[in-house]
Amino acid sequence: MSGKTDVWQGTLALMVLKTLKALGPLHGYGIARRIEQTSGDLLSVNYGTLYPALLKLEQEGYIASEWGVSDNNRKAKYYRLTRAGHKQVERAALEWTQTTEILARFLAPGEERS
Amino acid sequence: MRRLRAWLLRFGGIFRKRRRDAELAAELESHLQLHIEDNLRAGLTPEEARRRALIQLGGVEQTKEIYRDRRGVPWLETTWQDFRFGARMLRKNPGFTAVAVITLALGIGVNSTVYSLVDAMLVRKPPVTGPDRVMMLLSRNPAPTWAANRSPVSPLDFKDWQAASTSFEGTAAEALSRVTLGGGAEPERVPRAEVSSTYFDVMGLTPMLGRTFLPVEETSGNAKTVILGEGLWKGHFGSDPRIIGETARINGQDYTVVGVMPNRFQLLSFPAQLWTPLTFTAEQLSPSGRTSRFLFVFGRLKPGIDEGRARAELAAIADHVAKDHPDTEKGWGGNVMSLQEYDVADANSGPALAILMATVGFVLLIACANLANLTLARNSSRQVEFAIRTSLGAGRIRLMRQLLTECMLLSLGGGAVGLVFAMVGVWVVRGALNWNEYTTMLASSISVNGNVLIYTLILSMVTAIVFGLAPALRFSRSNLQASMKQSSRTTSAGRERHRLQKILVTGELALSLVLLAGAGLFVKSFVEEMQSSMGVNPSHVLTARVSLAGLEYLDPPRQAAFFQKVLSELDGAPQSQSTAVSSDLPLSYGEYEHFAVEGHPEPDAQKWPAAAHYSISPGYFATFQMPLLAGREFLPSDNANSAPVAIVNQAFVQRYLSNGDPLGSHIMIRSSPSPKWSEIVGVVGDALEYPGESPHPPQIYEPFLARPASSMCIIVRTRGEPIAFADSLRQAVWGVDKDQAVTNLKTMERVRDDSDQGDGFMSAMMGSFGGFALLLAAIGIYGVLAYLVGMRTHEIGIRIALGAQRSSVVGLIIRETMTFVLIGVAIGFAVSLTLPRLLRSVFESFQVRSASVLTGTLLLVILVGLISCYLPARRASRVDPIAALRAE
Repeated sequence: MSGKTDVWQGTLALMVLKTLKALGPLHGYGIARRIEQTSGDLLSVNYGTLYPALLKLEQEGYIASEWGVSDNNRKAKYYRLTRAGHKQVERAALEWTQTTEILARFLAPGEERS
Repeated sequence: MRRLRAWLLRFGGIFRKRRRDAELAAELESHLQLHIEDNLRAGLTPEEARRRALIQLGGVEQTKEIYRDRRGVPWLETTWQDFRFGARMLRKNPGFTAVAVITLALGIGVNSTVYSLVDAMLVRKPPVTGPDRVMMLLSRNPAPTWAANRSPVSPLDFKDWQAASTSFEGTAAEALSRVTLGGGAEPERVPRAEVSSTYFDVMGLTPMLGRTFLPVEETSGNAKTVILGEGLWKGHFGSDPRIIGETARINGQDYTVVGVMPNRFQLLSFPAQLWTPLTFTAEQLSPSGRTSRFLFVFGRLKPGIDEGRARAELAAIADHVAKDHPDTEKGWGGNVMSLQEYDVADANSGPALAILMATVGFVLLIACANLANLTLARNSSRQVEFAIRTSLGAGRIRLMRQLLTECMLLSLGGGAVGLVFAMVGVWVVRGALNWNEYTTMLASSISVNGNVLIYTLILSMVTAIVFGLAPALRFSRSNLQASMKQSSRTTSAGRERHRLQKILVTGELALSLVLLAGAGLFVKSFVEEMQSSMGVNPSHVLTARVSLAGLEYLDPPRQAAFFQKVLSELDGAPQSQSTAVSSDLPLSYGEYEHFAVEGHPEPDAQKWPAAAHYSISPGYFATFQMPLLAGREFLPSDNANSAPVAIVNQAFVQRYLSNGDPLGSHIMIRSSPSPKWSEIVGVVGDALEYPGESPHPPQIYEPFLARPASSMCIIVRTRGEPIAFADSLRQAVWGVDKDQAVTNLKTMERVRDDSDQGDGFMSAMMGSFGGFALLLAAIGIYGVLAYLVGMRTHEIGIRIALGAQRSSVVGLIIRETMTFVLIGVAIGFAVSLTLPRLLRSVFESFQVRSASVLTGTLLLVILVGLISCYLPARRASRVDPIAALRAE
C-alpha cells in the first residue's frame, strides 16, 4: 500500500459527486471502493478524509443521506445526489477539465517558443 | 448561499451531539464491517481481514475528531465549554461571585441610569416621521443674547421665508401659549400650540381620531376648531369616543373638537396639550409687527436636499429680507438646524450630563479596580489548576480565553443585576425630575428602553475586558514548573504580583478622592445656595396662580376687581394670617421692565436700564415678612386714580439712587400702558429670583390697583400647615368665578426648592455617586490589605515568635500600607485642586468656597484608608505564631 497517494482534498468532493452520479445511491464504503478502483488502486481513501468530505457536501446541500440496508443485509448509510448536486457535478467537472487542460499546456514539453 | 446554508447547519450541529456521535460511530462501524467482509471474500483470515481494514481506514478517533470539527463550530463550542466551566467555578465560590456581581452591578447600574437620561435628552430622535428631515427655521439675533442663533421668527418673516425658500416640502409655524380649558370637573390651565394647517404634515403625523386642520381654518381667522392631545382627551373628556364634533370651552369660548393626537407625539421643546389653528392679527402683519418674534417655524426637507443647503438658502433669504426692511431687521439673519439639534441645544444639559457621565464612568473604574484585585487574588490561589491545564496542553491564548470568559460571565451577571439597579435608579430620577414642566415631561420619557439595554450589554462586555485583561495576562504566562512545585505559598510571595495590586489600590484611592471632592463641591454649592438668605420667609406660605381667561377680563379694572374679591374671601378664612397678590413670585424668574430715573441722563433705547417688576397688593411685604427699610408700604388708596407711586428694593437704591434720599425721587416705567413719573414711597429688602443669586437684582414694585395684570399669584400666610389650606384657596377663587383655573398651587418652600433649576438634583446625584465611589474604594482597599496581610501570616508568625511586639507588628503593616494609601491620596488631592476651576468653566454660576470641601474630602479619604489598613493590621497582630507556622 505504500505506493498509494492520499486523495487530494479538493478533488475528493468531485470524485464523490461523480461516483454518486454514475452509480446512484451508495454507502461510504462503496464510494471509497469505487474511487480506489477507478484510480486503478493508485489512490487510497480513508475514513479521516472521506467522512468529513461527505459531511461538507451534505451541509452544502449537494448530497443527501439516509439509512438503508446493503446487499449483504448490513445496515449502512446511503448517500445520493440532490438536484443541486447534479448541477454541481457538471459545473465542477467543467472547471476541473479546464484547469487541467491549462496546466497540461504549461507542463507539455517542447512547446515553448524559442 | 451554499456557504450560508452550510454555516447554519454547522450551528445546528452544536446541538443533539450525543445522537449525532452515535450515528457517526454506527456509520464507521458499518464501513469497517463491509471492508472486512470484502477482505474475507478475497480469502484472508478473519484476523488478517480485520487488521488490514483497520490499517487502511486510519484511526477511528481521529476521524471522529475531524468530523466533529466540521460538523459544528469549534470555537463556539469551546467558548460554550468555557462558559459552563466558568459558571461552575463561580457557583463553587458563592461569596466571591456575590461580591463581584454586586460590585459590578453597582458600577454598571449607575452608568445605565445616567445613560437613560442621556438617551432621553441627547440620543433619542424626536417622535416625528423621518426625524432627520424635520428642520427648524430660526432667526439669528445680532445681539449676543442667550440662544441668539435660534431665536423665534416674526409672522411676516415666516411668510417671506415660506414664499422664497425652495428647500422644503412644506413649512409650518407654531406659537405657544397657555389657555384655560373649562367644562371638566374643574377648569384646567393647559399649554396650547397655535399651528399652521400644514403643521402635522410637516411632522408626518396623523391623528388617532378625526382630522388635522384645513387650510381654510387658518385663513378665515375665526374657525374655532381644536385638536386635543390624547392625555387631555382621556383626562378631561373621559376618553369620549364621540368627541369629534363636540365642544371644548377654551378661554371662555366654544371650540369644535376635530381631532385627537396620540400621546407619543410630544416634542420636548414644544409641549402642547391642545392645538388650534394659527391666525395673525392685522397688527402682527403690519410692518412694525416684524419686531415681535414669537413663532417657531418647522420645515421638512425635500428629498435630495441636505441641511447645509437649506441653511445657506435661508441665510440668503433672510439677508434679502433684512435689506428690504432695515429699520426692523437690521443685522438679523436666518438659521436652520434639525429639530433634534434644537432640542439638545434648548435643553442646555450637555455640561451637566457630561459631568454625570464622567462621574459614573469613574465609579465603574473603581469597581473595575476592585474586581481586578479580587480576580488577581483568586487566580493566585488557582496557580496549580493553571499549571495542570498548561501541562495537559492548554496554550497561553486558551488559558487567557478561559479567564476572560469567567470575567465576562461575572460582568454579564453584574450587568443583569445592574439593570435592576438601573430600573430603581430611573424610578428615583423620574421622581426627582419635577422642578418644572420641562423636567416633568422629560421624566415621563426616561425609561430602561432598548437603547439602554444595548448600552448596558456593551458596557458589561467592555468592563469584563477592563478588569479581566491584566489578571488574565499575568496568570496565563505563569511559570509552569514553579507553580507545580510551589504547592503552597512561601514566606513572602513575589513582589511583582503585589505591585500590580498596590498600583490598582493607589489609583482607586486617587479616583475616589477626585470624585468625592467633585461631589462635595456640588453639594456644598447647593447647601450654600439654600442656606443663603432669600429675602422672604417661605415657611407657612401657600401660593397659586390664576390667569384670568375670558373676554370679560380684558378690561384692567375687571382684573383688579376679581383679585380684590378673592383677597377679601381669603381674609375671612380663619386659617389665613395674611394674604396678598402679586404679578410674580420671588424665586421665580419674573418680568423685567425698562425704566428711567428722574434727573439721570437719557441713554439710547438699547441701553435703557431694566429691573424686575412686580404689581402687588398692600399686604405683600407683610405676607412674605420682607423688611420695610424706609418709607411706607402700599395702601388700598394707591390705585389707578391716585398719584402714581412705586417701591424699590435696596439693590435698586444702591445701583441707581445712591446719591440723595431715594424717598421722594421719581422713576418711570417705560413699558407701562401710560408711562408716568411715579414717586418712590418706600424701600424694601432684596428678594432673590433664584437661590444664591449674586449680585442682588434691582426690583420695582407698583400697586396692583394702579397696574393690574390678568395673571397674578395669590399668596397666603397660613396659621397651620400651608398645603392644608389649598382647598380653601381654590374655593375662594371659584367662589368669585368658577370658570377660572387655579394653577401652580404650591407652598412657597416648594417654589424655593423648584427654583434651583436642577442644582438640587445635580448635587443629590453627585453626592450619591461620590458616596458609592468612597464605599467601593473602602471595600477595595480593605479587601486587598486583608489579602496581603493574610499572605504574610507566616512571616508575621516568625516575627512574633522572634519576639516582635504586637504593637510593632501593627505599626509595620500600617506603615507599609499607608505609604501607598498616601501616594494615592496625594495624587487625588493634586487633581482635585483643579476641580473648582473646571466646574466654574463649565457652569457659569458655579460659586462655592472650596477650601473646606477639599480639605474635608482629603481627611475623610485618609481616615477611610487608615481604618481599612488598621483592621487587617490588628488581625495580623493577633496571629498565633505556633498556629501560623504550623499552617504551612
